[in-house]
Amino acid sequence: MSSTTRQTLVMLRANLLGLPHRLAISVSMALSVALVVAVLTGFLAMAKGFEQALKGAGSPGVAVILGGGTNQETGSEISPDAIRAIEAMRDDLGVVRDAAGNLVSSREIVVPVDLRLAGDGTGRTLALRGMDTSGPSLRDGVRLSAGRLFRQGSREIVVGDRLAGEFPGFRVGDKVRLGVIDWTVAGHFSTGGSAFESEIWADLDAVRTGFDRQGQVQSLRLRLDSPTSIAPLKGALSAVTGTPLLAIAEADLYAAQSGRTADLIRLFGWPIALLMSVGATAGALNTMMSSVSDRTVEIATVRTLGFGRLAAFAATLAEALLLSLVGAAIGIATSWAAFNGWQASTIGANNAHMAFQLSVTADVMATAGLLGLAIGAIGGALPAFAAARLPLTAALRARR
Amino acid sequence: MTENLNHQPYIDLKGIRKGYRIGKESIPIFSGLDLTIARSDFVAVMGPSGSGKSTLLNMLAGIDSPDGGQLRIGSNRLDQMGESARSSWRAHNMGIVFQFYNLLPMLTAAENVELPLLLKPLSARQRRVRVEAVLDLVGLAGRGRQYPALMSGGQQQRVGIARAIVADPALLLCDEPTGDLDRTSADEVLAMLAFLNRDLGKTIVMVTHDPHAARQARRTLHLDKGQFSEQRSAA
Repeated sequence: MSSTTRQTLVMLRANLLGLPHRLAISVSMALSVALVVAVLTGFLAMAKGFEQALKGAGSPGVAVILGGGTNQETGSEISPDAIRAIEAMRDDLGVVRDAAGNLVSSREIVVPVDLRLAGDGTGRTLALRGMDTSGPSLRDGVRLSAGRLFRQGSREIVVGDRLAGEFPGFRVGDKVRLGVIDWTVAGHFSTGGSAFESEIWADLDAVRTGFDRQGQVQSLRLRLDSPTSIAPLKGALSAVTGTPLLAIAEADLYAAQSGRTADLIRLFGWPIALLMSVGATAGALNTMMSSVSDRTVEIATVRTLGFGRLAAFAATLAEALLLSLVGAAIGIATSWAAFNGWQASTIGANNAHMAFQLSVTADVMATAGLLGLAIGAIGGALPAFAAARLPLTAALRARR
Repeated sequence: MTENLNHQPYIDLKGIRKGYRIGKESIPIFSGLDLTIARSDFVAVMGPSGSGKSTLLNMLAGIDSPDGGQLRIGSNRLDQMGESARSSWRAHNMGIVFQFYNLLPMLTAAENVELPLLLKPLSARQRRVRVEAVLDLVGLAGRGRQYPALMSGGQQQRVGIARAIVADPALLLCDEPTGDLDRTSADEVLAMLAFLNRDLGKTIVMVTHDPHAARQARRTLHLDKGQFSEQRSAA
């Protein structure tokens, strides 16, 4: 161990042993760091949870074809002619075909439906997705958690676990009024917590009939041979005339949607956290200045004995970093206990209600923790510099 | 001023100038101060408040530097050294005893004494052995684990002396070492300083207001208006 390290450690030890004399102001510094870290963790956990819900929904092995020049299901329309043209293609499209040589696909439509809540009379807009019976099998990781799937042509729905957990009227066998029609809940499904669990699925024709959207298809989902097969499919679609068609990997579709909203959440979270950080940094600066002021004679004494400026600087900075580390740990632990797994909801894709869980992941903790340490480093730098530059004669005179 | 001609001066000050600025006004402390002190001498410096005793001690300790002139201790020109070099010089050549002990209250007596040894390439065991030896030398054997707050003023000052000599420096600077002690404790401390000078050959420069303390030194210098006059020199 080098001499400077030994000097730093002994000065740091003396600083920390002297903390009880500055307990209130040191605790206040740690708590202000904790508050900033907790707030930032909350926002980042929200963005992360939203991202995870949407990214979990998308598979790179599934292509989504959209029409009408949009890259979202809302506003997309694919004409029956275009669908027939795609289904008639016999070339190798990079798409999985069944035993009869037909494309493994699902035509889909998403209808926003208002659900009136029994308790407070307020309403929620939910996403009702009409799909072919092959639709559920085109979702990776989907499984029935209760009941069964909807039957073709019937007014039956299957409800995502998140919705079923959030709204009491979605028990299997319940009748639910969506639009002007009563639908029977046939089952619940799980997709591992992804955004699909905030949807209601039903037969495509039943949805189109119930909401007067005969013949309408917003998206066509196709199972790809492999994730790289999206390129030949795009090439093949350029041969379809009449309407511009866009093929996009399902994973990319949801990643783009999650990116926009998550960025928005972060856009709110970071400025708030940074503004609070300014206050916390001022607090840290005050605390550490007070610490240096309290230790003026001690610092001057050891400097007179031959301790270096670097040790005085490093020990003061290390004290600030340790206090902010304690604060960051408290902030992370508090926000983890309070937020991790907490159910939240927002307006997601298709302008419908989307539920997700806040997720305090390792990278969220690391980012928020680093902000806490940055507060300590910035707040401690000036006092550390003051400790290193302490005029020894004046400092020693303080006790003469 | 007389000089011990049998020895090469250990401390040699020539034409030292030092002043302080208060606003636009410059207040001179020394305007051409000369001083020589032989190795293993024990010099007491007395003088009225504001005469420059502490400024002189600070310059000898290398925590303040002269505005002009030469300040040599041993073979080192302190007036030509930078802050970092003077810091290193202090660590290896000088021990200092403060009036108010300046012990770190959160460290034990042994940990306080160990501080100067942290600047040397010694193992933890080697440091512990030296700390125990020097605590024994100052009559505090077995008291190493005590915190300063639980010790009397005399004991604290002995810890301060132990800290000053643990690294075996040639020069010991003492700033009013008995100024905060009762007569009995002061006599113990003075006896210890005399022992360190007489038996271990330490060169000691002691600033004091106390004529009784000054009588323990071999020489007493009186500092007034920036100049020395020698009042007493031991036979």
